[in-house]
Amino acid sequence: MDFLITTLLNALTLISILMLVGLGLAISFGLMNVTNLAHGEFVTVGAFAVYFVQSVGGSFWLGLAAAPIAGAVVGCILEFAIIRHLYSRPVSTVLATWGVSLILQQGLELTFGLGAKPVTPPIEGTLDLVFTVYPAYRLILIGIAMLTLLGVVLLISRTSFGLDIRTVIQNREMAEGVGINTRRTYAIAFTFGAAIAGLAGGLVAPLAIVLPQMGVNYLANAFFVVIVGGVGSIGGLVAGSVFVGGLTSVLNYQISPSLAQAIVLLAAIVAVRLRPNGLFNGASR
Amino acid sequence: MIARDRNWLLIFAVCVVLAVLYPLFADGYRLTVIRDALIFGLFAASLDFFWGRTGILCFGHAAFFGIGGYIMALITLNDAIPFGSLLGIIGAVAGAAFVAAIIGYFLFFGGIRGSYFTIVTLAMGVICQQAAVSWSSVTGGDSGLIGIPPIAFDLGGLHVDLSQDLPSYIFVSAIVAVTVLALWSISRGRWGTVLTAIQDNEVRAAALGHNAPLRLLVTFVLSAAIAGLAGALYVCMAGLVAPDLSGLLLSTEVIVWVAVGGRGTLLGPVLGAIFIQRAQQTISSFNPSLWPLLLGCVFVIIVFVLPDGILSIYARLKSLFKGGRRAQ
Repeated sequence: MDFLITTLLNALTLISILMLVGLGLAISFGLMNVTNLAHGEFVTVGAFAVYFVQSVGGSFWLGLAAAPIAGAVVGCILEFAIIRHLYSRPVSTVLATWGVSLILQQGLELTFGLGAKPVTPPIEGTLDLVFTVYPAYRLILIGIAMLTLLGVVLLISRTSFGLDIRTVIQNREMAEGVGINTRRTYAIAFTFGAAIAGLAGGLVAPLAIVLPQMGVNYLANAFFVVIVGGVGSIGGLVAGSVFVGGLTSVLNYQISPSLAQAIVLLAAIVAVRLRPNGLFNGASR
Repeated sequence: MIARDRNWLLIFAVCVVLAVLYPLFADGYRLTVIRDALIFGLFAASLDFFWGRTGILCFGHAAFFGIGGYIMALITLNDAIPFGSLLGIIGAVAGAAFVAAIIGYFLFFGGIRGSYFTIVTLAMGVICQQAAVSWSSVTGGDSGLIGIPPIAFDLGGLHVDLSQDLPSYIFVSAIVAVTVLALWSISRGRWGTVLTAIQDNEVRAAALGHNAPLRLLVTFVLSAAIAGLAGALYVCMAGLVAPDLSGLLLSTEVIVWVAVGGRGTLLGPVLGAIFIQRAQQTISSFNPSLWPLLLGCVFVIIVFVLPDGILSIYARLKSLFKGGRRAQ
């Protein structure tokens, strides 16, 4: 019983992180049709923000507050300097953002030096649930991720900015026709996605190995979350995260992590062939 | 079109003459450097055959290079298999083509195009690298396999032994020249025209009766087969195979070679590969961690300044002068 619950909670941890990283991609890749290969570096930047704040004596929570800001700043600069000029050139966007991701990785390595960076969690120890004991920090992580997701859903469905985003995404020309500044909306949406990815990076920092190259793993998985889940709905995002995250966690018990990763990506390719529009397409629209 | 064909053949002929004359001026070490660069040039040409003709970017082409390399290594390292080198090359080409056929079937017939294809192939590269690392009983894990013998076989009266620098240089140059010429003649003929039609408007091309997914699949498989050949050649020349031969960084670099050399020219990517590898060696000798940084900058610069590669500078200058004359 407790083994089952532990597996479930491990899966939930990974699923929460994937949801946060995938959310930014769902906005940029799924909705704006921008293939941003530097999205994984937003996660890295968030993780390094926590490391940096801790290394100069700040608390973890201060670092976690800095993480989304760091992600947003990098995202905003990227959108302003590069992506906005390439909205009509998809292949060029792929090349340019991959270049940026290499520059960011190497820049972080040159600034902070080689090797993994230590990040200490704010709370040590475990929490006694009825059926099992589980690390307290992971439970907090799941809670923060769920709250963030809820906040985003409310933002998109209830505020006038959310309405603007949905309008621009449905029909860009029409949105301009009714007086929405589409460029600004795109820039804000992109920056917002980067901030959420930065937050995800900050949250995983105590659990993961903080390296300049850590973003690549999140990038590939997050893309599959979006592709498998289908574009355009929070439901699809959840379905994709559960598929990729759940399968990874279950397989991690049986085989080596790198083989598990390979099998999950293969399964995702097959899923994409069988349901090209996503597991959850249209159901929640 | 005909003038462009003539220009291409002219440049090709010049390159062949330079390649033939090079051993007269170079010592053994320099020959091996150019030989290895040429193998990567062949790899770049294989990507260009697909990307340049269809406009669909494959971000995991190193997977095929690595698959070819590992198959070659496993066959030649097994003493029980006769004609190791020859069977190894055939196996490498067939293995890469087979994997490409499966993946391509899933993607092309599943309606996956554009950015989606790029992402899935990116993951494919990650999968291959992870598989090479974790399947250590066969692939040697992180450290790879070493001691792969040079290509050597007897076929009828033909005796091939590539343990020396000059024969291996000639062998590789000949294969690269023949393959590039063959790819070019395929891509400029009817096959290439149909691919261009599919790239412009797949729905319309399908309405004209072309089986678009099948065309794309066959092009992809051919491209992967040649990448596998390049991988097989490389591991024999280097004597070793390692997981990063199928990794993301090599996939990235091959894209830069094609983009710098000029997408869709087949010859440009080969030249791009040679030039950039020379630059890489020079820069890495100063500071090894500087190279990825510069690579990233090259990506960004290409996108904004030279979207058609370095060969386009000549065309641009020409049109500039022509435009000037007309204005007078």
